[in-house]
Amino acid sequence: MVQVSIEQLTKHYGALVALDNVSLKINSGEVFGLLGPNGAGKSTLLKTIVGILRPTSGTIKLDETDIVTNPEKAKRMIGYLPENPSLYTGLTTQEFLQFVGKIRGVDDDLLDREISGSLKSFSLEDKRNSLVGSLSKGMKQKVALIATSLHSPDLLVLDEPLTALDPKTRVSVKDWIGSQTNRGVTTILSTHDLDVAQTHSERIAIIDHGKIIAVGNLDSLRKMANTESDARLEDVFLRLTAEKGEDSILK
Amino acid sequence: MSLSTIGVLVRYWIKGRFTKATLAGLAVGETFSIIFVLFGSSTFLSFSNKVGLTTGLSEVAGSLLLALYLVGLIQSGFNGSGLPVSSSDVDYVFTSPVPPREVFGAKVLLNSLTTVLFGFPPIMVLYLRFAAYYHTPWPVAILAGVVTLVFLVIGLLLSADITISLGRGVGDRRKVWRNLFIILVLVVSLLPITLLIPEIPPVIAEAASVLPNGLAATISVGLVSGTSGISADIIDFVLLLVWLAGFLILGVRLSRGHFYEVLEVAVPGLEKFNEPNQRSRLDSRGRSLWSVVRMKERILISRTREARALFVNAMFLSGFLVIYALSGSFQSSPTSFLFILFIIGSFGSGTASRWIEKERLWILKSSPVSMRRYVKEVFRARIAPLLFYLTPVTVAVGVPLVLSELGEPSLLLGVVLALPGALEIASITMAGGMYFASKYGQSSTDDILSSQAQELADVRRFLFQTVINLIMISPLIFLVLVSETLATSVGRGSLLGLAVGLVVVSLVFSGFSVNLLLNKAGDAVSRREDF
Repeated sequence: MVQVSIEQLTKHYGALVALDNVSLKINSGEVFGLLGPNGAGKSTLLKTIVGILRPTSGTIKLDETDIVTNPEKAKRMIGYLPENPSLYTGLTTQEFLQFVGKIRGVDDDLLDREISGSLKSFSLEDKRNSLVGSLSKGMKQKVALIATSLHSPDLLVLDEPLTALDPKTRVSVKDWIGSQTNRGVTTILSTHDLDVAQTHSERIAIIDHGKIIAVGNLDSLRKMANTESDARLEDVFLRLTAEKGEDSILK
Repeated sequence: MSLSTIGVLVRYWIKGRFTKATLAGLAVGETFSIIFVLFGSSTFLSFSNKVGLTTGLSEVAGSLLLALYLVGLIQSGFNGSGLPVSSSDVDYVFTSPVPPREVFGAKVLLNSLTTVLFGFPPIMVLYLRFAAYYHTPWPVAILAGVVTLVFLVIGLLLSADITISLGRGVGDRRKVWRNLFIILVLVVSLLPITLLIPEIPPVIAEAASVLPNGLAATISVGLVSGTSGISADIIDFVLLLVWLAGFLILGVRLSRGHFYEVLEVAVPGLEKFNEPNQRSRLDSRGRSLWSVVRMKERILISRTREARALFVNAMFLSGFLVIYALSGSFQSSPTSFLFILFIIGSFGSGTASRWIEKERLWILKSSPVSMRRYVKEVFRARIAPLLFYLTPVTVAVGVPLVLSELGEPSLLLGVVLALPGALEIASITMAGGMYFASKYGQSSTDDILSSQAQELADVRRFLFQTVINLIMISPLIFLVLVSETLATSVGRGSLLGLAVGLVVVSLVFSGFSVNLLLNKAGDAVSRREDF
């Protein structure tokens, strides 16, 4: 499994500063939660970590592999699930997973086993020959999750994996996240669901206006926010983002 | 029916539709249409002269052409696209207390206005060109154009009527109805062809003239060619107006009921699939990564409407190749042939540019694959069917052309260069289309580009694409242009060597151009950050 080291990462979109001097260290095998208000820079940070966006400055390393200078090696280690995964709607589920497995360098025998096993565990076996475009949102999310882990990545980067899912699918996805973390995969989990973050994450970073304003486990975040020792993550989050993010209503 | 509500709806739809970007796009599109119409009509007239066609047959051609338009609209009517709607119509207009009949009226009015506006310039240019050929006065050409525009509006009304009728129980059997209706319209529309068969009574051909396409063609062609009488034209025009009124009344009656559920929302880039379950065809076992990429592309094309668009594009290019050769224009000016081919290719490369809409860049860019190589493999998968259709046609057209020019070595060289040049231009324009789509095209439906920004990007893409593609293919055109001089200067003895040499040069140049454009396409994809 890999350790992720982010040093002084900055990302500009023209005049807009999306990430401002972000530095983080995520330990090998750790489940790391990423919280922040809408537009805080969470998705930009994740896309930069997986190599979809180029940093304006700063470095991101997976162990010793730099995502900018050695992207192909780094991408072999990463499984990424975007916030709204758009899939190839004209391919069947089987074809889609075969295609993704192939471009991520999975061996043929292993790929067949992985696809069959994953479809079974997500109860999607009967959708093997269905066009992805005909699947429900929950099913598409499950297919996207399978695609994310086909190549047994060392680092999982999950951007809002539970958004707009029905309760049954949420349980499946939570179970899947649990199974991946039990396997010891380093996981970065961005979510608005504070219960999920609190349950799954060992440490949590709170990002606002492109800056990391707090990092630590729940106890240390409580101290930073000057809340009660049994305060819920939601209260801690609101307090921290109100102070650092200058949210007048919350103040 | 409240006319003021219809007025409000139309006014706001126009405000939303005619942004600066759409107006710029409209200007570009209209300019190209006019150039295309001028070339097309001139080629048609030389073709008619060459094979001795009569004015009567021009009416047949017009009637058939309009019949094809009608059949297309009937099809879209049965597909639920007879009344185009957007998702904001569904969210805001359909949930408002405006009665469906008024929504129908406003939609039909808007569609008619935009069709007349968009269709007016090229149609008028077309009839003015014909009027100049037949030496008829220009106001007559304007009248002929107006008749054709009335026909277009009739077609839109028919399509809208079919769509809203689907909500009244026809839906379950709509495929059977659609096929029967299309066959009936086609059969009746094709009746004028019987004029070509000796001994067949002309009354059979007359049957087609009761349909809107037959009436419109008879009046328009009769007017521009100066062969019809005023009284006959007036009767035909009244009959055409009866069709218009009939479809309008039918639509107004049908629109009393609730018909919103049968309308299809137009979502750019979102494909509809009739059959949700398919046999999985992508067998990746034992295949290379790039072979799988090509296979995936072929599957995506075959399962979407793009396969049809690609086929139509290939048929269009092939048809043009054949007509141009038959009309004698090819031999007299192979350079103009390549230039026209480029114009057609610029429209056709729209299908190539759709590749980026179908791609899911987050998957590719989070995978360890070379984007340059990926784009090249996609190109290989896309160019193969086009060349598959075009190559036999080129050979079939080329062999008799070459044989007929054997006695004219100076002209022969131009023909020899222009034939593979056609395939090379098709390849370059497709590669150019892919490059500019990579740079400006929307990658998937959930991208963050707003529709207005995307429209502006599309206009910019089309302009840049046209200019750059023209620059890329100009050496090929130049080579054909100077071939006659070169052939004369080297003499008959060295002609074969010169021909082989020049063909090799043009092929190498085309290969280099395609490679350059695809490398730039791959780099553009790598740099994209709009998702």
